[in-house]
Amino acid sequence: MVSHNSLSGRPEASPARFGLPGVGMTRFTGSDDRSIAELLETAAERALDDADVEPDAVDSVHVGNMAAEAFNNTSGLANALTASLGLSRASARRIENTSATGASAVLDAVDTVRAGRAEVALAVGGEKMSVAETSVATEIISRITHSQEYDQGITLPSFAGLAAARYLESYDATRRDLARVAVKNHANARRNPYAQFESDVTVADVLDSPKVATPLRLYDCCPTTDGAAAVVVTAADADVSVTACESAVGVHAVADRADPLRIESAAAAGRAAYDAAGTDPDEIDVACIHDAFTILEWLEMEELGLAERGEAWRLTREGRTEIDGDGDLTVNPGGGLKARGHPLGATGISQLVELVWQLRGDVPSDRAVDSPRYGLAINVAGFGNNSVCTIVEASG
Amino acid sequence: MTRVLECPDCGRRTFYEKRRCLDCGADGLRPRDSGVGIVQAVTAVHVTPDGVSAPNRLGLASFDGDASIIARLEDGLEAGDSVVLETPDGAGSPPRLVPAETDRDRETPTSSGKQ
Repeated sequence: MVSHNSLSGRPEASPARFGLPGVGMTRFTGSDDRSIAELLETAAERALDDADVEPDAVDSVHVGNMAAEAFNNTSGLANALTASLGLSRASARRIENTSATGASAVLDAVDTVRAGRAEVALAVGGEKMSVAETSVATEIISRITHSQEYDQGITLPSFAGLAAARYLESYDATRRDLARVAVKNHANARRNPYAQFESDVTVADVLDSPKVATPLRLYDCCPTTDGAAAVVVTAADADVSVTACESAVGVHAVADRADPLRIESAAAAGRAAYDAAGTDPDEIDVACIHDAFTILEWLEMEELGLAERGEAWRLTREGRTEIDGDGDLTVNPGGGLKARGHPLGATGISQLVELVWQLRGDVPSDRAVDSPRYGLAINVAGFGNNSVCTIVEASG
Repeated sequence: MTRVLECPDCGRRTFYEKRRCLDCGADGLRPRDSGVGIVQAVTAVHVTPDGVSAPNRLGLASFDGDASIIARLEDGLEAGDSVVLETPDGAGSPPRLVPAETDRDRETPTSSGKQ
């Protein structure tokens, strides 16, 4: 075994590795009494405690938040955080990349460590969405679309409805198969004390829920969520390390894609991440997929090579992506965006929190993936405007 | 007819305003008639932003030059139907997808005289 502490001893083919010695998150909920600042502080303290890192050892702080101005009428979150937690030696900034804000903050932290500007970086992301009525939240999120899309009254679920309609038309998947994605992710969330949803749903529940964007219904869609998540990134290795964190952009207007079932930014980020990590899709044991809508779990698995194109639905139907499924890959053991929740700026980091817990074996047996070594997360902005793919590996 | 933007170098078309071609990066995109397209997928959106009545029935339609658009659909249109984009009178109204035949019927008698 080559020591990763010695640059001279590292073979050229080895990927750069950055430790993830500490993670933490708040319990995701539909409504949290704490302010956005308090949510960020809580998650950050949990990650620092988990890493056993003192505040004055943190060199850089990377705060992910999409829309505190709109939701919370506040700005300057990074500076408030450093002052409150005594991160007195750190540089600090805020990162915004719509729904991929969380992983983008991690990417910024990793790159800062990679560049030698930090030995210890803290990425913390959060969103407090409950203060807005659903229609206001829908409006805020719809504003990330191209202005010509916005003018048509297009919402994010509209894109998902069109993609789902096209997928079900193109392949042998059924509406019931799509519901099974929600059923699986609710079942996982029920076993996750940090998840927003505590109860199972059945296929019938999904199919009976109110229409949102046909053929998709309410239980095909992620909720709005309050919550924060944090991860400490270090130059030194840890029990779990990042071996790739890569981002790619896509077109802005969704209809500019040559194929409505493609999310090219996810494929490009995935290819770059597999290359950087020196791994391939077959080796991934557990994946946190950006399932803002059930259909996205299938589309992104196919973009990432975790399923053949047009075949992801079969893995769902056969139960192979479940925690105790017979397949080689578990998808969204924490409940995914669908059921853990989707506090925009926290989501991408909460995916890494889940992967670190899984790779360390820090989850109860009823939610534990069997001895995972490689984990992958994909955090997607908008309906594919931008994607960040992160690969983590357990040491030893 | 609603215009589509065409790349002067590679011919790739787009309905969405942008400075440079999606495929080759050339600038100077030129307006063209979008012609007849095909509806690829349909959704009825029941949760809409303020000011947009529900259900908002949207279609994804593909046109020549790899150009696609998501726009409001006239009632009765389904996936597979031939459509054209119609820009309603009045400033600020977004284009909508209407049956290709209906549009031709409308245009023929009025093509000689503009309002």
